[in-house]
Amino acid sequence: MIKRKQIAIYGKGGVGKSTTTSNLSAALSDIGYTVMQVGCDPKNDSTNSLRGGKPIPTVMDTLRSGSNDFEQIIHEGYNGIFCVEAGGPEPGVGCAGRGIIAAIELLDNNGIIDDYDPDIVIYDVLGDVVCGGFAIPIRQGLAEQIYTVTSSDYMAIYAVNNLFKGILKYSGSGGGLLGGIIGNSIKSLAEKEMIEDFSNKTDSEVIQYVPRSPTVTKCELEGKTTIEGDPDSDQAEVYRELARKVINNQKKFIPKPFDVDALNDWGSTWVSRILLHQKTSSQGIQDDGSGV
Amino acid sequence: MQPKPYDPDHKIDLDKNTCPNREQRANGTNVYYGKATQLIEDAKAGKTKCFDRELQQTSGCVLNFYLTVRVSTIRDAAIIYHGPLGCSSSSLGYREIFRSVPPELGRPQNFELNWITTNLQQSDVVYGASQKLKNAVLEAQKRYDPKAIFILTTCTSGVIGEDIEGAVNEIQPEVKAKIVPVHCEGVRSRLVQTGYDAFWHGVLKYLVKKPEKIQKDLVNVASMLSYTWQDRLEIKRLLGKVGLRVNFIPEFASVNQLEELSEAAVTAPLCPTYTDYLSRGLKQEFDVPYFLYPSPVGIKNTEAWLRQIGKYTGKEEEIEALIKEENKIWAPKLKSIRERLLNYRGDGKRLEVLGSLGQGRLLSQIPYFDELGLSSSAGLPQDFDNLILEDIENMVEDIGDFDILVSTFQAAEQGHITRNRDPDITLTCPFQGGAYKREKSVTRLHALRGDPDPWSTQSGYAGAIAFGEFILQSLENKAFENTMKEKTADSYKDSWYEQPNPLKYVDRESSK
Repeated sequence: MIKRKQIAIYGKGGVGKSTTTSNLSAALSDIGYTVMQVGCDPKNDSTNSLRGGKPIPTVMDTLRSGSNDFEQIIHEGYNGIFCVEAGGPEPGVGCAGRGIIAAIELLDNNGIIDDYDPDIVIYDVLGDVVCGGFAIPIRQGLAEQIYTVTSSDYMAIYAVNNLFKGILKYSGSGGGLLGGIIGNSIKSLAEKEMIEDFSNKTDSEVIQYVPRSPTVTKCELEGKTTIEGDPDSDQAEVYRELARKVINNQKKFIPKPFDVDALNDWGSTWVSRILLHQKTSSQGIQDDGSGV
Repeated sequence: MQPKPYDPDHKIDLDKNTCPNREQRANGTNVYYGKATQLIEDAKAGKTKCFDRELQQTSGCVLNFYLTVRVSTIRDAAIIYHGPLGCSSSSLGYREIFRSVPPELGRPQNFELNWITTNLQQSDVVYGASQKLKNAVLEAQKRYDPKAIFILTTCTSGVIGEDIEGAVNEIQPEVKAKIVPVHCEGVRSRLVQTGYDAFWHGVLKYLVKKPEKIQKDLVNVASMLSYTWQDRLEIKRLLGKVGLRVNFIPEFASVNQLEELSEAAVTAPLCPTYTDYLSRGLKQEFDVPYFLYPSPVGIKNTEAWLRQIGKYTGKEEEIEALIKEENKIWAPKLKSIRERLLNYRGDGKRLEVLGSLGQGRLLSQIPYFDELGLSSSAGLPQDFDNLILEDIENMVEDIGDFDILVSTFQAAEQGHITRNRDPDITLTCPFQGGAYKREKSVTRLHALRGDPDPWSTQSGYAGAIAFGEFILQSLENKAFENTMKEKTADSYKDSWYEQPNPLKYVDRESSK
């Protein structure tokens, strides 16, 4: 019996956060840990690839129905992973942040997590920490470590920088601290370097790079994680490595986010480098000019 | 799919910021209409739940069903409302409620309201207001120099997800007073009892100290607002006679009294549903024993209540002597009231009484009505949860089955039920009498804590007699009913009473 580890994974929408999280959960589960994955996004699709691509009823669905049947909110997925979706309103109505608050309060105050007693709980949270509700997993150390998934896309890094502001804000009052950055959809060395440089400049660390791979998309379309759908692939091994690193990672960073102007300046230099890199690789031109 | 199992011994978790709500902790419901035996069965099976009403006229919220006025009475504390101004307004009723208690009867001379609101505005909602909250804490410290500062949360702070604990952790080192956050935002729960659980959670987590010594003569008594000042005096009188001291909370308690809850010999109930969370917490954390049944209402249950206290304080003999002495004085008086009530109708049948009984009062009042020689075939509680299941089961065994009509004090539903059952005596919640127009007796079930009049006593021996006399009085004099019927229109149209279903406006589809 190990001490339960609770982590939260944040990242901009579309960056591959739920895919990475689900693969991490699946890999941890394969290693032998009991895992609970809690999707904290009103579009409630975090755990789909652990459940054959099918959505599950959400915590908010249960609350809304007036039922106190807590078993309705935990659904077993791949390899016995406990899947939970906080749920929330349709786009454009209500308050998604309050949905996260209500769902996490229900899980936490009623001892539901204790009842299922997972070794690790992973909160998969909508990326921009747009309001107090989405900061709940950071606050008061509900999650002891925060991870963030980002690609080299400037806006994804912008969202990471915002997350860092949130972590910094709550760091003085017992909030969860940064465990590391997960670089996702990496296609080139330059992209890797960009994320590396961002982590150096913000006093943080990259824990793992996940290359872009059609295997992931293929498995996703089959409603599976790569771990389940193509366990012998190189990509699956990348996720397993990530899982081992996360379990062993004890580091906690208080990141130093950029202010907006500085981030903009930093971003423009890197974007030009990456564009140049793309040009050279697509047109066969070497960027130092010597081979032309 | 299994419903949540009924667990009478569930643990409370003080590591959390607050309690679960009553719906989740105890399958609480705001609507039920059926036999007590059926309700017990349904509650055990986890079938009770809350529903929406399409017509809802009277209610309180988690924050403002008297939690505010009661926390305000803690004299050496200050209270901060973290919300828009309006949320704090009902606490201003504090002076109205308590000022008629003369200081000679023990109400403290210092009667100021130590009250601050953060008065949240648009921009606070958009940008968060934890700095404002921290400033309010500093201001409360400066202005009142209290021993404790209670922060009461509101819907607004809850919806924006304000990090209350974060703010408290940051500001606590800067102030002398102990800060106690109470998570009582209205949207959390539709059962107002959740607010009291949240209050006790804060008290247990932040204020109650590890016991330095056990005070074998100290009895914790937490009570609802509906027990009057005279009840306090009667309980103090009885326990005082055997050398026991009462730690009355929360009204006009000092912070020190809350801190030393852990040192008491026992936590005794006046209302099990109100005291349950505190009693459990004190037992679990500090091994203070407790019991939840009976409450000291009626002579029979007063004596059972005293005996329980005697058991935990090692005063069995003294209590027996007290019971003997008191019983000799009061039992004949009760007997005379009982005879008058039994013979009132003259046809050998008992008078039928229908009361707006909270969940706790279901347990205390129905056996007492029986003792008075009244028949009570139904009770109208505001809500119901599974915390009192065992006790209510025992009671049903004892006095037989009855109807439980959970109505959250909905005046229209109660009016309908009252008209159709047509009892000889209707006992309403103190603020609802105007909704019923009838020729037969109608009076209030209870006064509030601020009523110092001896005839409003309900507890102990004196209360058993005073309330019996009060019931008799309500039968003797019909001037009130007649005047009301003559001078004021009925609150509801005839069509409401003519249709058969008092729960017509309950939306059964709202909960599945």
